[in-house]
Amino acid sequence: MPDVISQNMPFLLQGLVTTLRIAALTAIGGTLLGLAVGVAVQLRLPFVAGLLRVYIEFVRGTPLLVMLFICYFALPALMGLHVTAEQATVLGFVLFIAAYIAEDVRSGLRSIGSGLVRAALATGLTRLQSLRLIIVPLALRRIIPALFNQYVRLLKFTSVASVIGVQEFTGSAMLVNARVFAPVSILIFVALTYLVLCLLLSSVGRVLHAYLAA
Amino acid sequence: MSKPIIVLEDVSKSYGAVPVLRGCSTAVSRGEVVVVCGPSGSGKSTLLQCINGLEPYQSGSILVEGVEVGAKKTDLPRLRTRIGMVFQHFELYPHMTALENVVLAQVHALRRSRKEAEARGRRLLDRVGLASKADTRPGKLSGGQQQRIAIARALALDPQAMLLDEPTSALDPEMITEVLDVLIELADEGMTMMVVTHEMGFARRVADRVIFMDQGEIIEDSPTKTFFSAPVSQRAKLFLSKILSH
Repeated sequence: MPDVISQNMPFLLQGLVTTLRIAALTAIGGTLLGLAVGVAVQLRLPFVAGLLRVYIEFVRGTPLLVMLFICYFALPALMGLHVTAEQATVLGFVLFIAAYIAEDVRSGLRSIGSGLVRAALATGLTRLQSLRLIIVPLALRRIIPALFNQYVRLLKFTSVASVIGVQEFTGSAMLVNARVFAPVSILIFVALTYLVLCLLLSSVGRVLHAYLAA
Repeated sequence: MSKPIIVLEDVSKSYGAVPVLRGCSTAVSRGEVVVVCGPSGSGKSTLLQCINGLEPYQSGSILVEGVEVGAKKTDLPRLRTRIGMVFQHFELYPHMTALENVVLAQVHALRRSRKEAEARGRRLLDRVGLASKADTRPGKLSGGQQQRIAIARALALDPQAMLLDEPTSALDPEMITEVLDVLIELADEGMTMMVVTHEMGFARRVADRVIFMDQGEIIEDSPTKTFFSAPVSQRAKLFLSKILSH
């Protein structure tokens, strides 16, 4: 390992921890929000479903960086509250990734045949119970590969947070580079770290899918 | 025969302009086994699905234990726990084990304790000959085994009647018997059943009555003996000659 990396390791690791924290929080928040939005849209909940469709289309037609700027600059200005760069990042990423996860959830729900729903209802379960106990758990199992694909995207997106001053992994590495100027070794190290993490994440997804698939 | 559990009076249903049920009337008494047959598209499955409120109907009345199925205030989930249903394609929950399939509605619809539900579930799996498959998922079981578990799932709610929609039509020939054997046993124990099936041997053996449907209408509703020996309608004669000819 080149000296520039090992000498700055504690600082870089700190950045990596921030990256992982943001990614984990966003994955959890984005999955919960995406699940709620996907189910609401698929059930065509009156009024709400229309609004949520607008939200999904808005996010899918807006760059991630713009979303981040909205959460960091525009929302606090509108609401008059103070947010840290990291809080704005988590909020922006959750809103961003949830729109995509909602679409995945919807396609998962659509893949469940009506026969299963009828069977569940025929045993006296209510619509809500059959959704909660059978349809949603089955849909989630089927979309595990798609979900982990979103988590991988998310992990890489976190580097964008450096633009608003969050000292995550990429941002920390560039700070080191500004001091010691060794872009080749630093960027190779950064890229390989992301690569290893993404490969790990994908294989977790594959194992989970194989284990839970029915 | 005591008083009827299921009463249909002049039930009609259509999808847009296409009628699927036309003025169907019949009644099923406690302990009776009624086989429903007829060409495909004649409305047999729809009729069954109307009885437990899975399909709405536009006119007429269906009473289950005296409760109008189509009434707005009817507690359909409660009514459905009183009637077991078995489907052509089993429709077991693929992400759950056989036992969990049989336990789920007991816990969530009937509010039995998990312990009680599991004990009852294991007894029923044993009864359909699948005690050893309690922890197996449906995907690893044969069609005949899956259908027997589906029957156990329906029985787990202690239903007052069973509706079976072509329970053997999706099965390989060698698995039909194992499912029919379970149904024959049920019939012998006095379970009230409405069975849509083309298994005429089964009908002869266990049915008290046979209903013949064509184009959404109940054409014939006769005691089994009469139906097979002297069907009244020309259409039933033709149908019988077609399916009994080989």
